[in-house]
Amino acid sequence: MSKKNVDLKPKNLNFSLRRTMAIAFRTMNQFRRDRRTIALMSIVPIVIMLIFGLAFSGEVRNVPVIIDNQDVLYTNPFPPISLHLGPNITDNLVADDGVDVTFGNYDQGIDSVELGDVYAAVLIPANFSELVVRMLTGENVTIQLYVYIDATKPTIRASVMSTIYDALDSAVGDRGIKLVQILAHDGAEFTGLDVGIPSVIAFVIIFLLVIVGTITVTREKIQGTQDRLYSTPLRSSERLLGYVIGLLLIAILMISLTLIFGVLVFGVKVHGNVFLLIFAALIFGIAHVFLAVFLSNFAQNELQAIQFAPLTALPSMALGGMLVPIVSLPVWLQPLSYVVPLTYGINLFEGIMLKGWGFKELWVDFTVVAGMCLLFFILAVVTVRNRMRD
Amino acid sequence: MAIESEYVIETQDLVKIYKTGKVKAVDGLNLKIKKGEIYALIGANGSGKTTSLNMISGALFPTSGNIRVLGYNVPKHRRIISNYIGIAPQDYSIFYDLSLEENVRFFSRIYGMTKAEFEPRFNELLNILRLEEKRKALAKNLSGGMKRRTSIACALIHNPRIVFFDEATVGIDPVLRTFFWKYFHSLKEDGITLVITSHVMDEAERADRIGLMRGGKLIAEGTPSELRNKHNADSIEEIFIKLSEGVIIDE
Repeated sequence: MSKKNVDLKPKNLNFSLRRTMAIAFRTMNQFRRDRRTIALMSIVPIVIMLIFGLAFSGEVRNVPVIIDNQDVLYTNPFPPISLHLGPNITDNLVADDGVDVTFGNYDQGIDSVELGDVYAAVLIPANFSELVVRMLTGENVTIQLYVYIDATKPTIRASVMSTIYDALDSAVGDRGIKLVQILAHDGAEFTGLDVGIPSVIAFVIIFLLVIVGTITVTREKIQGTQDRLYSTPLRSSERLLGYVIGLLLIAILMISLTLIFGVLVFGVKVHGNVFLLIFAALIFGIAHVFLAVFLSNFAQNELQAIQFAPLTALPSMALGGMLVPIVSLPVWLQPLSYVVPLTYGINLFEGIMLKGWGFKELWVDFTVVAGMCLLFFILAVVTVRNRMRD
Repeated sequence: MAIESEYVIETQDLVKIYKTGKVKAVDGLNLKIKKGEIYALIGANGSGKTTSLNMISGALFPTSGNIRVLGYNVPKHRRIISNYIGIAPQDYSIFYDLSLEENVRFFSRIYGMTKAEFEPRFNELLNILRLEEKRKALAKNLSGGMKRRTSIACALIHNPRIVFFDEATVGIDPVLRTFFWKYFHSLKEDGITLVITSHVMDEAERADRIGLMRGGKLIAEGTPSELRNKHNADSIEEIFIKLSEGVIIDE
């Protein structure tokens, strides 16, 4: 080599598209090798679009209500007017698919509303037609129709009220008849936040515990500590329980913060027993820690692990009644709601926080959540065992 | 109690086929390791050393074959024998977000040690492994050699009778390597059995006995001098290359 001096202005100091593209291709290559991430990335948006699209496409319809029509035929001597308006109103309601009418006794209807079996009980008083006639003859009377209604779902409440109003309007016309709303659950009136908080708690438990849980377990897998623990006296059940207790402490902190923030800053009221609420949050949390341990079997790295959270949480959001009440989902989609854990979480938290329910009213949901705990526990234990045999 | 045998580790026709691949990672391994010896399992990367160790320690289920450790069947009695074995895996297997002390304490708890049992033993290990100054340091901030020593401390905290060092002396500086081998010999004096894997052939010269592995099988076994004499070679590396003639080794 004769030339010893280096080139003082090498060309490769300029901005190079080639280098930029080297980085770009390397970044893409990482994904090309990680097939599971690609699969998740292509599936997640489709699943979410599908479910959300369908969830929002439904309208509030077939809301169960009980109607007690006590109205009787009234015949006025002079001027001779004969009216029986009650059946007209009920016929209109039956014809409207916004509500699903059952005829029954008003007092029993109230009980059904309190138990969450129906959303409203409507009473058409015995002297309804009489009062309308007296109004037509120029008397100054107040005519009332009573609606005992569940206010925990504002969209349903609004829809039911407008359906009743329409039925009344087309039967009697606009005559200033008062619809008296009596709110269920001790007359609790809810602001948007009150109604939202229970679902938010349930959602946060699912979302964060699944993220934190899968990542914790997956990280152990990556660090190799998981394999190492197989050659210690540690039992699978001890490992699993250890994960659960550790993650639950985090969950308790998280739930407490959500509650305290809601109560102190936004003035949310807890109508039911606070300890029952904590208990519900705990078993709901335990179920999801088990689920997280189970799901982490299917993640090879943290990138994959983190995607299980939206994959479980977002469909739950759409199907579990968080964004759209279950009754307003398309009918064929509704059965799926009963597969989604969030449904039961929302039932529990809404029941305790908004409706002041106790174990008596919520035992079905408690049982389902306990069953989920057992199912996810078995799945988690079985998969932890199987991994050793690979 | 199991029958006392000259051998603390015995494997018979051990085979492992991973579900994910069709390759036999271990293909009929027959190992006999005596109490209190330093046994070096030598082989190229991918020859089945780590897979064998994982099966012997009970972390991995064999596809077929028998394993006895201290007279107990593994994996059937893996939880019993786990108290007597310590493992320093190739990839350290320590928690990077914990401090050195927290790591070792964690493993001591897994082995059911009390605080009173842990403290003196931990201090002893810190002293021997020269880690005193780093006890509060986060594992992720330790150098490679220190991570290795932390991993060894985790493996030894419960006073095991058999210790597996998987590639423990690979990739560390010569000073530390010499230190390690001195330490291994001192463990041997205490009656501890050591199984050391390595793909660095010359390491093996310092062991009592050597097993050469290839394709999941033992292809030669003996003391370093026995092997040199038998194969008429100056070094273990030479023997290995002779025996591997015509075979392309993985990596």
